[in-house]
Amino acid sequence: MKRTKTINLARMRKGRGASFVLRPLAIGVAAALVGCSSDEEVKVVSSVEDCVNNTQLDEAQCEAAYQRALEEAERTGPKYANLSQCETEFGSCRETSSGFWMPLMTGFMVASLLDNDRRHYSSGYYNPVYRYSASGSRYYDRLMTADGQVIGRYGKSSYTVDKSAMDPKPKVTKTVSRGGFGSVASAKSSWGGGRSSSGSRGWGG
Amino acid sequence: MLRLPIGERPRWQERAQEFGFHFHTMYGEPYWDESAYYQFSLEQVEKHIEEPTEEIHQMCLDVVAKVLEDEELLRRFCIPEQHWDFVRNSWKNGDPSLYSRLDFAYCGQGPAKLYENNADTPTSLYETGFWQWLWLQDNVDRRALPLQSDQFNSLQEKLVNRFLDLQFLTPGRELHFACCKDTEEDRGTVQYLQDCASEAGITSHFVFMEDIGCDTDGFFTDMQDQVITWMFKLYPWEFMFREEFGSLLGTNNVRWLEPPWKAILSNKALLPMLWKLFPGHPNLLPSFFEDELHKAAEITELVKKPIFSREGANISIVRGGDVQSLSGGPYGEEGFVFQAMHPLPKFGKNYTLIGSWLVDDMAAGMSIREDGNIVTQDMSRYLPHIIL
Repeated sequence: MKRTKTINLARMRKGRGASFVLRPLAIGVAAALVGCSSDEEVKVVSSVEDCVNNTQLDEAQCEAAYQRALEEAERTGPKYANLSQCETEFGSCRETSSGFWMPLMTGFMVASLLDNDRRHYSSGYYNPVYRYSASGSRYYDRLMTADGQVIGRYGKSSYTVDKSAMDPKPKVTKTVSRGGFGSVASAKSSWGGGRSSSGSRGWGG
Repeated sequence: MLRLPIGERPRWQERAQEFGFHFHTMYGEPYWDESAYYQFSLEQVEKHIEEPTEEIHQMCLDVVAKVLEDEELLRRFCIPEQHWDFVRNSWKNGDPSLYSRLDFAYCGQGPAKLYENNADTPTSLYETGFWQWLWLQDNVDRRALPLQSDQFNSLQEKLVNRFLDLQFLTPGRELHFACCKDTEEDRGTVQYLQDCASEAGITSHFVFMEDIGCDTDGFFTDMQDQVITWMFKLYPWEFMFREEFGSLLGTNNVRWLEPPWKAILSNKALLPMLWKLFPGHPNLLPSFFEDELHKAAEITELVKKPIFSREGANISIVRGGDVQSLSGGPYGEEGFVFQAMHPLPKFGKNYTLIGSWLVDDMAAGMSIREDGNIVTQDMSRYLPHIIL
């Protein structure tokens, strides 16, 4: 056979039927991963105060961790096209600046044992978690990360997660300038020849 | 090689909507055309397209090695001097490539003739790797095509496998995808590559080229201020070299797809270089730089192509001292190359161009474009094919 043997069509579908923008795809899959050798014990804390009382971080570190978790939630959290879909799965939701609906962060994870390196907030990673609340689902009242990895039932004092859940995420910096690419394309596209009415269709070929 | 009419799949436009193929019709003109298809024999595909594709790719890599160690050639290829080390280092380090597309004139017999190599920013990828694959599947399912119909198209499978390799070769980095704003076709192509990457387990992000930022240390950033460390850009190297952020290239530890050495291959200066290194090769057309035209004295018709151009822009035919422009466009300031005239074969009223895909160095499939004009341009139509 000279062609691709199989393509999972469900994964290629993008039409109007797919009303979510990004949702925890791994529900039901990731749960099976827990229990492999790279486990780590974590606390899930819901506020700065909770963090100070129940982890090895001090108040400044907890504050920084909380802010970081909020930013991370904004960046990676599940996003829905409308409020009711979001509420069905996560109960409390809010609208983002870009017009999507996201669940409120229930808390964030902090490793139970922190060495000096990881205690320093800039190198640690504080993953936000969400409380799944679709009634009738077998994940009802479970905590999960943005990618759908199930952490455990809501309300426990500590959880065992796969270490990958705590991996440091890519560096974030302060952008001082934008728009340094694209000027040649922009200059060429003002040329209005050919049969296409608005210049070139794209910059591939 | 035959061009055969076939009924369109009922309501295929809804199917396109279902799978997010939004640019099947552009500027009111059909782009995806399933009122006909091309039929090839297995021998035609394997002997005349697949084998030469992999061979020419290796020949092209020889050209890269040669050009990078010769400053005069780097000038001929219009690589700005400030970027020579950037391009050379990517080659020395063996930076891996993802894909490319060779364009051939082929009529079903005799050697396919190479028109050019789209090695940096090839498009029509989704239409090839997925959409024409689905077209075949649907038509076999509804018995409009024989059950044993096949297609030269392992593109999607090979892309996913290549992303698995690339993840291994680029550990610990997340992949940013980029293209320009306001081009639905480019965005669709990039989305398809994102889907293939995610199938391979790669964490990916998207940013428009125009939105890329930099911080005080010269690192590139996305709209979330995340530092970009690995990037696929559907945007030509020759543009990036000449833009403001071009001066940061090579200073900020980014791994690129396609790698910078592809700037040598997506360049029409490749054509006379191939002819110089492999004169008389059956799949090559005689090609010359402007100052070598005396060597082309016995060739009655030459096609004049800009060193940098896209979508068949700024092509002319030269007959002796006579120059006839075939297409307009914004290119040509960097100079031209000349290729012996070898018109595209005509099937009915249509001139037909074969695109032959590579994933890294493996031939991976075929795409077909038709145009009423002898120069295939950005409004040409895409037709599917089968092997029978």
